[in-house]
Amino acid sequence: MQRKDHLPTTAYIVMTALLGAALCLCVCIGSVNIPLADTLRVLRDVFSGTPQEEGLNASIILSVRLPRVLCVALSGAALSLAGAAMQGLLKNPLADGSTLGVSSGASLGAVISIAFGITFPSLPFAGTVVMAVLFAFLSLLLILSLAWKLDSSLSTNTIILIGVIFSMFVSSLMNIIITFSADRVQHITFWTMGSLQGSSYMNAGVLGAVLTICTSVLLSLAEELNAFAVGEENAAHIGVSVRRVKLTVLITVSVLIGVCVAIGGTISFVGLVTPHMVRMITGPNHRRLLPLSLFSGAIFLMLADLAARTLLSPRELPIGVVTSIVGAVVFIFIFYKTRKGR
Amino acid sequence: MLEVKDLTIRYGNFTAVEGLSFSVEEGQWLMLVGPNGAGKSTVLSAIAQTTPYSGEIYFQGEPLRSMKSDLRASRIGILAQNHFVGYSFSVEEVIRLGRYSHTRGFLAEKRTDNEAAVAQALELTGMTGQRHQSVLTLSGGELQRTFLAQVLAQDPQLLLLDEPTNHLDLVYQKQVFSLIREWLQRPERAVISVVHDLSLAKAYGSHAILLDRGRTVSSGRLKEVMTAEHLNQVYRMDVAEWMKKLLSEWDRTASR
Amino acid sequence: MKKAIPLILSALMLFTLCPCSLADTPAVTVRDMTGHEITLEEPASRIVALTASDCEILYALGAGDLLVGRGEYCDYPMEVFEVPSVQSGYDTNIEQILALHPQVLIMSTMAQTEEQVAQLEAAGVRVVVSDAQDIAGVYTAIEMIGTLTGKTEEAAAVIDSMKTAFAEICDDAFTKGQTIYFEVSPLEWGLWTAGKGTFMNEVAEMMGLKNCFDDVDGWAEISEEQVLERNPDYIMTITMYYGEGPTPEEEILGRAGWKNVTAVRNGAILNLQDNELSRPAPRLAEGARMLYDFVDGFVNAAAAA
Repeated sequence: MQRKDHLPTTAYIVMTALLGAALCLCVCIGSVNIPLADTLRVLRDVFSGTPQEEGLNASIILSVRLPRVLCVALSGAALSLAGAAMQGLLKNPLADGSTLGVSSGASLGAVISIAFGITFPSLPFAGTVVMAVLFAFLSLLLILSLAWKLDSSLSTNTIILIGVIFSMFVSSLMNIIITFSADRVQHITFWTMGSLQGSSYMNAGVLGAVLTICTSVLLSLAEELNAFAVGEENAAHIGVSVRRVKLTVLITVSVLIGVCVAIGGTISFVGLVTPHMVRMITGPNHRRLLPLSLFSGAIFLMLADLAARTLLSPRELPIGVVTSIVGAVVFIFIFYKTRKGR
Repeated sequence: MLEVKDLTIRYGNFTAVEGLSFSVEEGQWLMLVGPNGAGKSTVLSAIAQTTPYSGEIYFQGEPLRSMKSDLRASRIGILAQNHFVGYSFSVEEVIRLGRYSHTRGFLAEKRTDNEAAVAQALELTGMTGQRHQSVLTLSGGELQRTFLAQVLAQDPQLLLLDEPTNHLDLVYQKQVFSLIREWLQRPERAVISVVHDLSLAKAYGSHAILLDRGRTVSSGRLKEVMTAEHLNQVYRMDVAEWMKKLLSEWDRTASR
Repeated sequence: MKKAIPLILSALMLFTLCPCSLADTPAVTVRDMTGHEITLEEPASRIVALTASDCEILYALGAGDLLVGRGEYCDYPMEVFEVPSVQSGYDTNIEQILALHPQVLIMSTMAQTEEQVAQLEAAGVRVVVSDAQDIAGVYTAIEMIGTLTGKTEEAAAVIDSMKTAFAEICDDAFTKGQTIYFEVSPLEWGLWTAGKGTFMNEVAEMMGLKNCFDDVDGWAEISEEQVLERNPDYIMTITMYYGEGPTPEEEILGRAGWKNVTAVRNGAILNLQDNELSRPAPRLAEGARMLYDFVDGFVNAAAAA
């Protein structure tokens, strides 16, 4: 029997259809104009197992666009899920990897691994991923304990202030690291700009695996997140194991953000924009919010990436520019609403 | 049912509660009374395990400190004094959270039980008509009743109430206290509440503990604790005289 | 962090100057790129140069010993590392510069503010702006620095040898309109290329090569699929190799979906990782020669086949 606070099956069908449509759109449209019929032929050949013709179109679609679109969709879903979970846990709709400074922390980890050459043999980018996840988690702990000390109610103002200060702190640390590793300046600088260009199926695979695990963890904690969203004290009163849930959610969120940052760099505001929009439709219940955030995060980031790839063709805009423009507007809107509400 | 032994709670150098021992038995309504800063609410949060303490608290012989939180919550419910909800959950969603401890693992109850408990809690608190309303649009009193409904849905054996009628007007104040008195009639139940209004405490309590600056002044049956002598000592004024004066004032204006 | 990006881009490339050397008297007068006329009573003997290219010019003129300070990103020739380094670009630190007591500071237009110049001039340091945007500009810069240091003959010799070298590779018919793609940053960080108005573009044009991305201005991030579609005959990358993982050439050869690109199929990938073709300095001629020889090898092989 289905509980009525779950998403109806039709919602899943509609979202899957929309996701599929966005995916097709993003594979069919790109900087290079490939006729729809050719795109479909290439895709049909792949799915039917027909030997590939080694043409330009096939290369572009299968080696460039498809892996990138997959990585973008998975990153969007992951960042959005992480944002939704954090906003529930902290009972604050402005909490997000980018506003709290967790993404900056993660990129600091990645930069350290580049600067000091921390790598695992045979797994070229595992060093960056591990360091990014580790630093995302440490940043979260630091930010939250600092916020807790300053203002245990974790008000919006405190969160934003701490996020800004922490990001500034991280950026100066990064400058110090750059100063001490002058020979890798170029490497580090280009890395911090972040790019989803050159995404591979392996990246998509890693993202997909991480996302699957983290999604099941967070979905199993949906009711606990509801309790936190109502209030942490209330959560304790109704029997939620506050410490365990908090730790689990923070670790999961760190893994999601860390992996995304390691693969695509910092992409701001995704975790802020989509959960907010979803909440306007479904309400704050995490049983509906989390799955719908996954879908809409993927769609949102795919469309943002499409804009980044095509608007200035042959040039590319960094995807973060597109998300930040949308994100800044939504941020101010939420901020205004939450301020008005008190 | 509940046994508190040598409970001491410190915040840094400040001692909120010192060496408090008492027990609560089935069917009792224990009133924690005393002036502001006496440590009344702190005692409740210690029993609810949301504040660190030294000493031991046993529920039906088991130490609460090591009890799993969902098991504890299925036995002990607490209604806090203030509520700030961050998102626009519906009244019903907040109340259903009260079923959390009953819906987990081997303890999970049937869905119908949950629905019945939620419906009953809505009914008892008069919130049925507003079950789909967002909690952000509620008045202070409605919010208080929503959380009362949540803790009723939680169906605990021991109910902890921190100023349960803080935001409520007289009509609901009376309703809530009568409701809790009725709730207490069922077997294996007990209530501990913090109440500022001494007349309410006197009217509804069976037992009382009079606290002053973290120490017990008197404890036992309500009549023996809330004597003029004890109250005057703790509040440093003639409490009975003041109450009478207020009432006579009321009589005078009402009869005019 | 963002501030560092233009800083590095510029540290890797550009800079201009427009000098005029006039008198034969010990007093020297130059007109720098911003049109300021600077007169010194005698050729400069204590110089701080903030850009890598101006340091290279000084060493090429045999005036390296006049350097008392250098920008932090100056890295050629090796001797330059013995000179004390100062912060440059947006972080230009006046105090560090003044502490070195230079007579002349050679800097670019980037992050150069009126206030900074006024402060430096007030402290008795003459500011000379060097900002070459093309090869002609590089000659001007060399000439100006030659005048400034009293090395006019050396400057003329350097310019002559550059002109000779470029003349040797100037051959429109040589590549018959084949195309080249310049890669500034590898795929992992997002593809950046050098478009119109860059030295790489200018050198390519000299030898009749068409830059794939001459519709893009300066350095820019471009789409991977555009490279595949434009299908360059040659690829030149300036990515640095740190001695771990695949070399830049191997990395390009191994990219998914690139195997149909002509340059990848023919293995026509050149890695110039010492900024030979990205810096307005005398080594441009050497870089151009390397590129020419590299392309020549493939042209001859094709002709022989």
